[in-house]
Amino acid sequence: MHGPARGPAVIIRAALCPCPPLLARELTGRDPIVSGLREACAEAAARLVAADPDILIVVGPAPETAGWDSASRLDLSAFAPALGATLEASGTPGLPLSLGLGVLLLDQAGYSGPRFLQAVGEQEPVGRCTELGDKLAASAARAALLVMGDGSARRSPTAPGHLDERAAPFDARVERAIRAGDLAALAAVDATLARDLMATGRPAWQVLAGAMGAERPMTEILYADDPFGVAYLVADFEAAPNGAGQAGAS
Amino acid sequence: MDRVEGEGTLGMDDRATCGPGPLDSLGPLGPPGAQREPGILRLGRQEFPAGRLLVMAIINRTPDSFYRPGITWHETAAMERVHTVVAEGADIVDIGGVPAKPGTEVTVDEESDRTIPFVEAVREAYPDLVISVDTWRHEVGRAACAAGADLLNDTWSGWDPKLAEVAAECGVGLVCSHTGGQHPRTRVFRRAYADVMADVLDRTLTLAQRAVQAGVDPSRILIDPAHDFGKNTWHSLEISRRLADMTATGWPVLVSVSNKDFVGETLGAGVDDRLAGTLAVTSVAAWLGARVFRAHHVEQTRQALDMVAAVKGDFRPARVLKGLV
Repeated sequence: MHGPARGPAVIIRAALCPCPPLLARELTGRDPIVSGLREACAEAAARLVAADPDILIVVGPAPETAGWDSASRLDLSAFAPALGATLEASGTPGLPLSLGLGVLLLDQAGYSGPRFLQAVGEQEPVGRCTELGDKLAASAARAALLVMGDGSARRSPTAPGHLDERAAPFDARVERAIRAGDLAALAAVDATLARDLMATGRPAWQVLAGAMGAERPMTEILYADDPFGVAYLVADFEAAPNGAGQAGAS
Repeated sequence: MDRVEGEGTLGMDDRATCGPGPLDSLGPLGPPGAQREPGILRLGRQEFPAGRLLVMAIINRTPDSFYRPGITWHETAAMERVHTVVAEGADIVDIGGVPAKPGTEVTVDEESDRTIPFVEAVREAYPDLVISVDTWRHEVGRAACAAGADLLNDTWSGWDPKLAEVAAECGVGLVCSHTGGQHPRTRVFRRAYADVMADVLDRTLTLAQRAVQAGVDPSRILIDPAHDFGKNTWHSLEISRRLADMTATGWPVLVSVSNKDFVGETLGAGVDDRLAGTLAVTSVAAWLGARVFRAHHVEQTRQALDMVAAVKGDFRPARVLKGLV
């Protein structure tokens, strides 16, 4: 964690992006396939960078809660061995997918400032997640947060987890909460149901809820679709100005 | 199609510049690596890197070739076929006016009538398509170059030594093949070799070196073991198995296996039932480093080669989603 900067610590801006491997352009072959999704993620990352934070924190789900070396990158060769030769030998261990794709977005946005990479365990209960978010928010006076996480992967018969009728209403509730800046509703997402629906973003959403606190941020949904049966959501969160309360509520 | 190594690009060569090659600047004949820029194959105005596998589509202006005889005998049918093979991914068309098998004599004039106006027409329709002409005769070769051909496919292994001179004079490419000394349009009869691959290497490399000496641009020379030419089926299987001996020379290797008798004899398959065998040998040859594949079934050959190239890591898959969403 970076220095114990205290005082009016606040997350000035946050972004939510999904983290399927296909976000890495190299992995999909000649067909870019999801260029609209990549453009939306690039836009969300650009807004974070434009907010000029003291530090940019990437949060994403992984098997274990842990901080990662900020010089680390995603090892694409784990998904496509043929691409191994194209990677720089950074000498650091490959990041978990979610953090690796977050870092990729920051790199592509041209961000070179301080960054911190925080994995949040897939099994962490909501309390641990919001607490982690709170700690991250307090780590710098003006921090920005890039939250990586996906909705359900059981939205259609061809989806990775096949069809589960509960998936669509689940994702709709998450999208509604984000659209309204209602982070308390994100904190209330049921971990068991999320796991059943293969919604891997759940712990990361709850870190976001903890980090942005009770103030409703102003939000904008930049992308919401499920081209392959997984709910992808790209959203931009701007902190309410100086504790103005319900500024983002629509 | 989008490829890892990029499309053939316009080279510095200008087809219009004909004349004798710079003989004295070549220096002593060393191994091919010393003569050629490694990997690059130039054909016409295009330049192909080593990882790029090329399909040479067969267009026979004959009434009596062995596979689907007469199918492109008429000019309209032949031009239609060119449109089709280009759409199917052919990089080169190989236009021939004389069948390989024995039969009615085709004179130089007759061969020229069959091929030259057609080469002109294809060149007009496709300014950048690589045009090869399958001939052993220098008179036909010279006329073909004037009509716009980029490559002389000398299937009969330098029977007419002047063909290489014509290739040099016109600045076009040359295929150097092996027939075991067969006279053009004759069938193999009780041919034996102490070591068929050694004979193939000796002949094709000698022809390649002679071509360089004659002034042919080394980056435009290919070698071809010529399956079935002066070879029985065992011989053709042997050169297929040991094709790496040829690719290791550094010269780009062309293979012509499409629907041939060695495939048919191996599989007990009639001439119309040799596609699977053809693609199998094609794939083995591609894996062993061959770069140009003369084919009747262009679309299937293109797919087989793209698949092999992808396995080798030289070709990007079209659309990858499985497990990545």
